[in-house]
Amino acid sequence: MRGDARDLALPRGFRDILPTEARELHAIERTLMAAFASYGYVPLEPPTVEFASTDAATLDERRTLRFLDRDGRLLALRPDLTTTVARVVAQRYRDATDAALRLAYFTPVFREELSMRGSEREYDQAGVELIGASGPRADAEVIALLAASLARCGLAAAEIDVGHAGYLAGFLAELPDEARASAADAARGGDLVGALAAARAGGLSAKTVAALERGLRHRVAGTLAEPRRDAPRAAVAALEELERLVPLLEAAGAGGTVRFDLGFVPALSYYTGVVFQVTAPGLGFPIAAGGRYDGLLARFGADRPATGFGIAVPHLHQAIVAAEARGLVEEETPLVVLVPAASDTTTLRVAAALRSAGLDIAIGEIADSAGRATVRARIVDDTHVEYEGVARALEAFVAVLRP
Amino acid sequence: MSDVLRLALSQGALMADTRVALQAAGLAVAPLGADSRRLLVPAGDVEYVLARPSDVPTYVAHGAADVGIVGKDVLLESDADVLELVDLRFGTCRFVVAAPEASLDRSLDEYRHLGSLEVATKYPRVAAAHFQRRGIQVEIIKLAGSVELAPQVGLSDWIVDLVSTGRTLRENRLAVVEEIAVCTARLIANRAAYARDRERIADLAAKLEAWAASR
Repeated sequence: MRGDARDLALPRGFRDILPTEARELHAIERTLMAAFASYGYVPLEPPTVEFASTDAATLDERRTLRFLDRDGRLLALRPDLTTTVARVVAQRYRDATDAALRLAYFTPVFREELSMRGSEREYDQAGVELIGASGPRADAEVIALLAASLARCGLAAAEIDVGHAGYLAGFLAELPDEARASAADAARGGDLVGALAAARAGGLSAKTVAALERGLRHRVAGTLAEPRRDAPRAAVAALEELERLVPLLEAAGAGGTVRFDLGFVPALSYYTGVVFQVTAPGLGFPIAAGGRYDGLLARFGADRPATGFGIAVPHLHQAIVAAEARGLVEEETPLVVLVPAASDTTTLRVAAALRSAGLDIAIGEIADSAGRATVRARIVDDTHVEYEGVARALEAFVAVLRP
Repeated sequence: MSDVLRLALSQGALMADTRVALQAAGLAVAPLGADSRRLLVPAGDVEYVLARPSDVPTYVAHGAADVGIVGKDVLLESDADVLELVDLRFGTCRFVVAAPEASLDRSLDEYRHLGSLEVATKYPRVAAAHFQRRGIQVEIIKLAGSVELAPQVGLSDWIVDLVSTGRTLRENRLAVVEEIAVCTARLIANRAAYARDRERIADLAAKLEAWAASR
């Protein structure tokens, strides 16, 4: 039956973004893309749908929204941008191996979620990927860019927790294959109890397991000397890489916003080096996460080092609102609601004149101004409007609103 | 950063040991008075959320609580994305596959013939994952309680259930076919809260671990 509200419902996990929120999200998009551009990152607009290839998938196939097309091919709505970027690089930039490729994006991603979890299946993700650059300078660049991006959004106090995928891997390196895989899987899944038990069962000494437990649990204050104690050589190499970051982050102006957290173990398995995430007060999910993933592009046939980050825009938006960060939507002149004259010709002529003088004009009553301030003006004749009870020449009216 | 650390606690069987553990870790447990019906209990710089055990992982995964205490059995069935920090070593129970003592061999014969067994359980996710690992084809029948009844009246061949002493199984003439997992209570944390509020959460984890190890 038409008109029944049930007919108009959306599939779970999808929603309309109404004008007020959309306006704020557009402001976030402009702010972030400007920040990314200031570091030389150029925009990439990938397609929404790709083949649901399973061999190079970075995300559990149960987490992607998949469907068959008329050719009988299994397609997927893109679940993240990292995989897409890896494919683009392998396809289009395979031979550009002597220069860094800096890509930026702001685009929706799609994740399959179990029902009744209250989770969105479509949301905007923003981020960058730095392809073809390895070493601490590249790691420092993306972390500093993330800090700068958040600062531009008004979250200058946001702290970035930096860890290293090689720290845990270094402890597990000497275990037999099966024990190593099961400990690493447990740790990525968040089960630190199971990870330590698997490491112990696989033959790691009690002293080494204790060192790993301390490292994963206690955030490091200032120096990395304490976590070095009893750590295997491969884990120490990861710590040394983190130490080399300190002066670089300070030089890049991001020193104050970064702290080390060896207990940050990303859920995705493709990270190989420096990793990081940003959390905000009162939010149950990180705003942003990223890190180095040097092995991933090789899976697509283009063996290049790479690092980058993704920002979950809805979480960033929530954090900005919670922090009451201002300056998100730039100061604008109010929208003029023009009460039309009897003559449509006059109405359109006055509206056109005011618009060409730089004002935004809506003719007649409006249902939604998306949170933007409005003023009402009534048309008197071709050259005058009445505003705040006074008839004014058009230039005088413009001068009031745009001093 | 946030002033109050919010702890989700499992009401019911784990509560008595949970109180002992929290007290040993130096937290105020007096406000968790026996006969109050409050579900959100402030206690100094922490706040307790009293929840049904199977809801504790949900509160923590979404960040509605920063940390929680819940059985590993609940975590296995919930598949929630949380961090498991400490094995608290109380509330021990086991997930087992059980079958009628009398018909264990018969049901295996049937499996060879029919290629599938029916398994009744309150824990479909744990049961499905176990039989998938073992390569055994089963049909899962989800029940809300008294699973021991199912094989006795022909609803299923086997059951997957949580047992602590095994007495209920014996009284219903069921025998353990195999053990799936031993489960104890865990300290869990929200991933973002663990990053943000590490000092307090790590301190609580260390104290609880010391307490669990000393018992």
